[in-house]
Order: sequence, then C-alpha cells, then structure tokens
Amino acid sequence: MTNQGENNIKLGLFTLAGLVVLIFSFYMIGKNHNLFGGDFEVKVRFSNLNGLIAGNNVLYSGIQAGTVKNVELLNDTAIEVTLSIDPKVSAFIHQDAIATIGTEGLMGNKIINIQPGTGKGLVINKGDYLKTRKAVNTDAMLQTLDKTNNNIALISEELKNTVTRINQSKIFEVLNDQELGSGLRSSLANMHQATADARDMAANLDLMVKGIRGGKGAAGLLLTDTAFAGNLNNAMQNVRMVSDNANQATIRLNTLINSVNQDLSSKNGSMYVLLKDSVVAGQLRSTMKNIQDGTAGFNQNMEALKHNFLLRGYFKNLEKQKNKKQ
Amino acid sequence: MARIPEFIKETGQVTRFTGRFFSTGLKPRFEVKELLAQCYFIGYQSLPLIGLTGFIMGLVLTMQLRPSLVSYGVESELPVMVGIAIVREIGPVITALIFAGKIGSSIGAELGSMKVTEQIDAMEVSGTNPFKYLVATRVLAATLMLPILTILSDAISLFGAYVGVNIRSVTSVRLFFTQVFDSLSFGDLAPAVIKTFFFGFAVGIVGCYKGYNSSKGTRGVGTSANTAVVLASVLIFIIDLLAVQLTDVLGLN
Amino acid sequence: MEISTGSSMSEKKIPEDRETVIEIEHLCKRFGENVVLNDFNLKVYRNENVVVLGKSGAGKSVLIKCVIGLLKPDSGTIRVLGKNVPELDHEDLDKIRTKIGFLFQGNALYDSMTVRENLEFSLRRQWIKLPQTEVDALVKEALGNVSLPHTADMMPAELSGGMLKRIALARTLILKPEIILYDEPTTGLDPVTAREIDNLIIALQKKYHTASIIISHDMNCVKNTADRVVLLLDGKCYAEGTYRELEEAADENIKQFFE
Ligand SMILES: Nc1ncnc2c1ncn2[C@@H]1O[C@H](COP(=O)(O)OP(=O)(O)O)[C@@H](O)[C@H]1O
Ligand SMILES: [Mg+2]
Repeated sequence: MTNQGENNIKLGLFTLAGLVVLIFSFYMIGKNHNLFGGDFEVKVRFSNLNGLIAGNNVLYSGIQAGTVKNVELLNDTAIEVTLSIDPKVSAFIHQDAIATIGTEGLMGNKIINIQPGTGKGLVINKGDYLKTRKAVNTDAMLQTLDKTNNNIALISEELKNTVTRINQSKIFEVLNDQELGSGLRSSLANMHQATADARDMAANLDLMVKGIRGGKGAAGLLLTDTAFAGNLNNAMQNVRMVSDNANQATIRLNTLINSVNQDLSSKNGSMYVLLKDSVVAGQLRSTMKNIQDGTAGFNQNMEALKHNFLLRGYFKNLEKQKNKKQ
Repeated sequence: MARIPEFIKETGQVTRFTGRFFSTGLKPRFEVKELLAQCYFIGYQSLPLIGLTGFIMGLVLTMQLRPSLVSYGVESELPVMVGIAIVREIGPVITALIFAGKIGSSIGAELGSMKVTEQIDAMEVSGTNPFKYLVATRVLAATLMLPILTILSDAISLFGAYVGVNIRSVTSVRLFFTQVFDSLSFGDLAPAVIKTFFFGFAVGIVGCYKGYNSSKGTRGVGTSANTAVVLASVLIFIIDLLAVQLTDVLGLN
Repeated sequence: MEISTGSSMSEKKIPEDRETVIEIEHLCKRFGENVVLNDFNLKVYRNENVVVLGKSGAGKSVLIKCVIGLLKPDSGTIRVLGKNVPELDHEDLDKIRTKIGFLFQGNALYDSMTVRENLEFSLRRQWIKLPQTEVDALVKEALGNVSLPHTADMMPAELSGGMLKRIALARTLILKPEIILYDEPTTGLDPVTAREIDNLIIALQKKYHTASIIISHDMNCVKNTADRVVLLLDGKCYAEGTYRELEEAADENIKQFFE
C-alpha cells in the first residue's frame, strides 16, 4: 500500500475504460436507433403490423432513414403508423414510394422498408400518407397454387387428348412436323412433371404449414420468426408467379385448343386454311415453345424451392422417411 | 428437514447484515482511502482473470455456434448471435460467477481470518468501526467494480468472438462491430449492466457476512470462503432469474 | 475461603484515597447454558497492576472484553473512568476506548499491513488529520518504547513471536492510554522473552502511570508484575491479595496455582 498514488491512477484508468466502453456502446446503439431523429413525419396505414412497435427503424432503399414514432389503432382493419424521417433522406422519397414491414437481420427488430417508386411522383411532404403493399399471405398463396395445379392437370389432360387427336388426323400435315410434334410432346411431359411437382409441393407445403402451426421442427421454430417468413414469402411469391404464369398460359392454351377442337368438330374449312398457313403454324410452334419454357421454368423453380435452405431440411426428412419405408 | 429452521435463521441474519450495511455502512465517516484500495484490489486486479476468461468465452462461443448456424445457412448472422448472447446474458453471468469465485472467496477468507485472529476486535477496540472499514468498503467496491468488469469483459469477449469468426471466414472489425451494435438495443444493454450491480452487491455482502461471522479456527475460515462462493453463485442465478422476469414485465425483452 | 479485602488493603503502600479507574460490580455473563461470570466484583486503582489469575476457560478474557465493551454483560455495572461501559452508545464507547489499551492474546496485528501501518491505524482514526511529522514521531516513540525501532517497514509475518508481542504492545501504547488490559502477555513465549515482556510492562507502567489488568497463569509473570492478584474461580472473585499473601494461603484452590 506504499504506492497508493500509482494504484489510484491504475484504478482511475480502469474505471474510465469501463465508462468509455459503456458510453461508446450507448452511443453506437443510439446512433443506430436514431433516438434523436428529426421532426419530419409521414404516415402509413397497415392492416397488420406483425409486431412493429414505436422506436423501430425505418429504412429507405436499405438506408437508415428514421424511426417509428407512434402506432395508433384506428379501427379493426387499419393501424396508422407515424414515421419520423430524417430530413436528409426525406428529400428523396417520392409520393409513390411503397412502405412494407420487414425484419432487421435474422432475428432483429421489425423495420419499415420504404421502397422507391417510379421516381416520377412528387417528393413527399410532412404528414403525407405512403402507399403500402399488403404482406403476402402464405395461406392464400397456397390456395391459389392448389387451384392452379388442378387447372393445369385438367387442361393438360384435355391438351393431351386434343394433341393426340391432332396427331392422329392426317389432314394437318403441318402437325406431323417432327419438330412441332416432339416439342409439343416434351412440353406436355414437362407440364405433367410440373403439375405433379406442384401438387406434391402444395401437399407438402400444406403439411409443413400445419407442422409450422404446431411449431414442429427446426423449420417451424425458425418460421415463427418473421424474418424467415419474409424469406419464405419471397420464395412463395416466386412460386406463385410461376404458377400464375403457367395458369395463364394453360388458360390461353385451353381457349386455343377449344377453338381448335371446335374447328375440328365443325370441320369448318377455315381451320384447315389457318393451319396450313405457315405463319399460324409458326405461331403455334412458338406458343408451344413458350409453354415448354414456362413449364421448364416452373420445374426449375420447384427444384430451387426444394434446395431452399429453409425447406431443405424438410425435404431431406421426407426423403429419409421414404428411404426408411423402403 | 432439521436444516430448514437453520436456513431461515441464516436468511434472517443475512438480511440483518444487509440492513446494517445500509444503516451504518453508508453513513459518514467514509473510509474513502480503504474504499479506493479495495476498488483497486477487487476491480483492477481482477481484470486479467476476467479478461482472459471473457476472451476465451467469446472465442469458444463463436466456434460452438458456427456449425448450427452454418447448417441453417445463416453463418453471416454469427456476430449478431454471439453479440446478443454475450451482452445480454453470458457476459454478465459468467463474469459475476468468476468474480464470485475470486472476490467472494477472498473476502470470505480475509474477513474470516481477521475475525479468528481477533483483528476485527482489535479494530473495534482502536475506535474504528470495523463494519464501516471492512464490510462497507468491500461491499461498495464489489458493487461498483463488477459492472465495470462486466463491460470490459463484454468488450474483450466480443473481440474473442471476432477472432472466432475470423478463424473460418474473414470479417473486418468494423463490419463485425457494426453488425453487433446494429442488433443491440438499449433494452439489451441497460438491464444487463444494471443487474451486475446487484450481482456485485450479492458477492460482496455474502463474502463479508460469511467472513464476519466466521467460526473459530482454520476450518472456520475455509468454510467461510467456501460457503461465500457457493451462496454468492446461487444468489447470482436467482437475481438473474428475477432480472429476466422484471425486464419481461417492463417490456424490455 | 476468601481473604478479606480489608486486611490486604492495609498492607498496601498506596494511600487510601487513590483514584478508582475501573469498578466492576455484580458482573454476570453467560453464553447459553455456560455461565462464565457470576457476580464478579473488582476495583482497579490508578497506578497499579492487577493480575487476574484463573484456569484456562475460567472467563478471564471474557472479563476484560466486557470491560472494553467487546462483549455485553448480562447484568452488572462496569464503570471505567466513571462511565458505565455497557450503557454507552457507539460514540462514547469509542471515546472511552481511546483511553484503554488492549493487548490481545494472539496479538491481533493487522497482517495485511506493515508494522508502521499497524501503529498508525488507530492514530489516524482518533484525531482527524494529525500532521505526518507528529504521526512519525509517535510511531518512533512507540517502537522505541519496545526497543524495536527498525521494524517499521516490515510485515508482521516477518517477525518472531516475541517481537510481535512487543509490536502489539507498542500499538496499544501509541494512544497513551490510561488503562491497559493485557490478555496473557507472556503465554507461548520462551522464559527469556517472557521476562523481557514483564520488564516492559513494569517499565511502561512506571513511565505512563497507567492502571492495568493483566491476565495470566504464568506465575513468574504474576510475581514480577503484580501489585495485587485476583483469583477468578467459578465466575467469582475467589481470592484477592498480594502475590505473597496468596502464595502463603492454605486454600487448596489457591495453592494449585503456586506449585
Ligand atoms: N464468543 C463466545 N461465545 C460462546 N462462548 C464463549 C465465547 N467467548 C468465550 N466463551 C466461553 O467462555 C468461557 C471462558 O472463555 P475465556 O474467557 O476465553 O477463557 P480464558 O479464561 O481462558 O481466557 C469458555 O468456556 C468459552 O467457551
Ligand atoms: Mg483467554
């Protein structure tokens, strides 16, 4: 205890070091959460906040732009969220920008993402309302997907019949064209594959969603975190888009085939003339090719979905179970 | 079963002792010089140990977490996860436990042997209130120093985690700490720091109580040191439990 | 058998009107079932050394701890310099304690401090802000009194048993107490060192005119230092007198100490 003075200096350094780290941490956290944000306010109305609370961050094109200032329940379907926006950023936000609720990082807080619109609209003013996009609903998505699959199945059946009949008919040489025939066939095969996959997929997803609801498995755990839900949403959106496309394509194909059928059954010459027309044949060919591409893309998507990290474990499990059963 | 009345009696005595700390220990005259000396010993001299364990803890935690995060495909979230784990729970609790082991036992043994060799009586006879001189300074020093140790230990642990992240991949210091701080909120840091005051207080008061009421003989001193550590560690977990409940109620989680 | 106080007093050279510094009346102290002191009475006058003789466990240490207020008696009064110790509050107790020196059986030196810090410890707490030169002078004087002037910067662990006892004595003396309570000052020391301690006690008593209670069962020490001897037995003052008186007593209980 003879060198008390020196000890006190060490103790002082020690204490200061601790305080500096603490203050620095608070500063860093405060900076990120923009505690001292500006007074530029805009409003957004959501029907579901997914856990967003006052104090959460607002990002504009991924840049820290402000914080959620206030959350107010207006009625049973609308919640008004007031955002405090950094004036530096607000100058770049146009009125057609879209606000969505997302998640910060993997397990972070809720955030509001403002995505720039076309950039043609006026710059927002204080108190303006931003547009929103409804969050993707997994249930609705799966329902659509299921319907689409049914449609595809139905249509492809008809398509098969029709094509067989067209194939069999000797009148239309153009359809004997090897290329077109094989193209049609392979497109049909693809379509089959896709439909089967999609049906599987839908069933699996259904099962999985049930599992998730029950909070089963790692995927279930992770999915209760809305961050993953966000990722899944993206994947699902893709699937839906493809299936929508396929749906449209098949619907178009259906009308086409129906008209062909009608023409054939009525034995009206116009069809014959049309089909003889190489332009129409070419169009038909390209349509077929489109369908082929579309269905192949759909297949790819299905494949990709299988490899998606979220669902990978699930599919692996499925395979394992299959292997066990064998 | 026969130990239950004993236990209740002891609880009462500890409570009394704590009450005495607040009633006499915090009144003037303050033993400022002794307080500083104790802060130096309890705080500064514990830093190497706490720093070392903190570093290893951060490193090991990172290496242990990596495989599971990799299997979920979220390896990039490693700093966030380690950061939250260290700042919220592992840093404060592990630091407090090591602190209890080092400081709780040393206070228990020191006061125990002073009691046994009548040094405490000698102090009292010489006109010094040993409760103020010995107990109040140590409890206060432990209460004030553990938070600082925890903060420094957190920082060192995060550095360990940074090293751990860099074993298998490369991250810049800046990105690492930006990621860590991005994921943290005041609700993570503030309760974690506040609860360490209580941890420190528990370690100090238990060590002093056990030492101050040590029974005669070398055996008594050993028992004091030992039970001080055990009781302090248990108290740390109980306080931690209360803290998590409280932050939950306050909506800071 | 009790030797009458009157007869013993008449043999004393000290005049009748001497000042009483410690007056213990009807002192009772028990620990649970263990009755240690039971109606103990004793008077100590200025300028005399009273030796309390008793078997190990008789309650001698308990007696002087009651005197300095470390233990609270169950009943009875202990008047030290006119104040009843058991009834004093903390502040007054601290005040009276500055006038009492207490030499512990095991020295009770602060083993984490150097000898100087040990000596300074009570000084620094008695008078707020004593100038450093004065503190140094007092330390030097105290160490000189016990003829160990070169040990100031040593740790207690580096000193021998006899030296520790002397340092402890120096620490007791540094506040210039009016009363000194010695708890077995020579126990555990070799005869030569024990003599040195005895002589020191006598010399210090002469120098500072203190009143002392010396607890001992070392008959050489008793013989050397005692102006008056009190035999503590069964919690009572069993016999009282000069060394010679007790030595010549026929009582079995007294005799066993003098064999
Ligand atoms: N703090 C205490 N608690 C319980 N019993 C005690 C305490 N101090 C002393 N005693 C008991 O009082 C008796 C006298 O002890 P003591 O005065 O130390 O003996 P001695 O005369 O040898 O100094 C012993 O029987 C001891 O057991
Ligand atoms: Mg004794």
